[in-house]
Amino acid sequence: MAAEAQATAAGGLAGEMEVEAYRRLFPLAFLERHLRESVRPDARRPAEARPTTVALAAVSSAHGSALVRLGDTAMLASIKLEVMSPSGEAPDEGSIAVEFHMPPICSPLVRPGRPAEVAPVISKNLEDILMSSGMLNLKELCLISGKASWLAYLDVYCLNADGSLFDAALISAVAAFTHLEIPLVSVGDDGRVFTVGGNEGKAKYELVNREKRKLTITNVPFSLTCALHKDNVLADPTAEEESIIETSVTIVLDSSDQIVSIQKPGGAVTSMTTIKECISLAKDRRRKLREILMDNVEAMEVDQTD
Amino acid sequence: MSAAAAATDGTYSPAAAAGEKRRERKEELRRHLAEDADWPRADGRSFHDCRPAFMQTGPTTAASGSAYAEFGKTKVIVSVFGPRESKKAMLYSDTGRLNCNVSYTTFATPIRGQGMDNKEYSAMLHKALEGAVMLHTFPKTTVDVFALVLESGGSDLPIIISCASLALADAGIMIYDLVTSVSVSCFGKNIIIDPTSDEEAWQDGSIMVAYMPARKEITQLTLTGEWSDGKITNAVELCMDACSKLCDILRERLKDAASLAE
Repeated sequence: MAAEAQATAAGGLAGEMEVEAYRRLFPLAFLERHLRESVRPDARRPAEARPTTVALAAVSSAHGSALVRLGDTAMLASIKLEVMSPSGEAPDEGSIAVEFHMPPICSPLVRPGRPAEVAPVISKNLEDILMSSGMLNLKELCLISGKASWLAYLDVYCLNADGSLFDAALISAVAAFTHLEIPLVSVGDDGRVFTVGGNEGKAKYELVNREKRKLTITNVPFSLTCALHKDNVLADPTAEEESIIETSVTIVLDSSDQIVSIQKPGGAVTSMTTIKECISLAKDRRRKLREILMDNVEAMEVDQTD
Repeated sequence: MSAAAAATDGTYSPAAAAGEKRRERKEELRRHLAEDADWPRADGRSFHDCRPAFMQTGPTTAASGSAYAEFGKTKVIVSVFGPRESKKAMLYSDTGRLNCNVSYTTFATPIRGQGMDNKEYSAMLHKALEGAVMLHTFPKTTVDVFALVLESGGSDLPIIISCASLALADAGIMIYDLVTSVSVSCFGKNIIIDPTSDEEAWQDGSIMVAYMPARKEITQLTLTGEWSDGKITNAVELCMDACSKLCDILRERLKDAASLAE
């Protein structure tokens, strides 16, 4: 019996090593063999996204922040506000500066000093979508028309890169703006704006923005990335799947299920039927993400009330 | 981005301006810190209490090994990659190479982008770990240690060193012993351990010790400011004692991670 048990254990271990070797040597064949059974290497269905969690207020020194985990992909978004003079073209609006960072801790492909190629692409996409979706009203960031307004620095750090980076970055940016709390400010004698401490009652100067402490968030955009391989549509691909499959499409929808953006960087030609399938998956995903975000916002409000 | 960059030139942080009264109050506070023998620290700790430590392995699955550390407000994440092929520009080497890089997030400090000033931390981290890693076990290759400070709340470098040694162990790199590190600050005749940012801003001097407790060897000792001989000895012993206790915590984390893996 002992010999049999040892033989079985050795066989099992050898089997595991063989599977792992097959996975590394023939990744495409490995994936296709799974897809034939409508399953993915990590046991998900093709249309299934990974579990998602959002934690607000992850950075105490920032005015708004959020930590988002999408499977193993982790994003940390943080917003800091500074006062600036608004531009001449838009004297009653604030502005937003978006920066997406991939520090070398997040992936073996990133080296210190040289920024990752994908980082500025995601920065630009994030900025475009935040602006064009109508989520934010920049007029709310104005303090004194023509003289002072807020500049919001949005920094998104990728802490672990395991696929669908843009999706995770967008969720974290949206969550950080949801959590954003604008500090109270007054105008000094020299005309400069300064923050007022917690002691509101004894403020010598008149408060400029007593009422507007939170941004009005409308039309929240959410995105879903799909990897396309022959007849299969894989929602929310992992880094391994992204490296094997060359075609992907990212759909961004707003609160009314209207399309904010569709992005398909190269790859094989795709039929409209497949694109429509992706849009349908993105609609389902948007509803789930909205639930997750609202749950966190409500939990945060309850915490603050107590 | 060019428009945003142009807009950035005219920005300033809306911090309260300092007045004459504030300066007087500062001087009074400095006298109090230096001369009084006993005062409670802002977070309620006594002079020789460290902040509560939370440490965890494996936050970055893309890396060979990784660790996350949280000491009060200071949050650090370290990833270890390798041993992997060295860059082609490097010459052949019988022993392995250790490459360290420390960076700060832009929001790590109260004033944005302030973390760029700590360029020497990468070299100091390298020197602290070099003595502990068995470089001969991975010839011709490089082990990369990347640290990212998510929030800077004081005593950043000691926490980075402790977290990095935990990440190296998580990656399976052979080391002689875990390296733990603690720093102390000096206020007149008082020594306080594991200072916060506010305490560091006021200190007369500081000592940082990186220590391998099982072997009783110091891999790095850094001293700033003015210290008397007797006080240096006391401070170093205090650090070594705290390092031993911290090492027990690290070993506990590694055991937990190992038992979880099975």
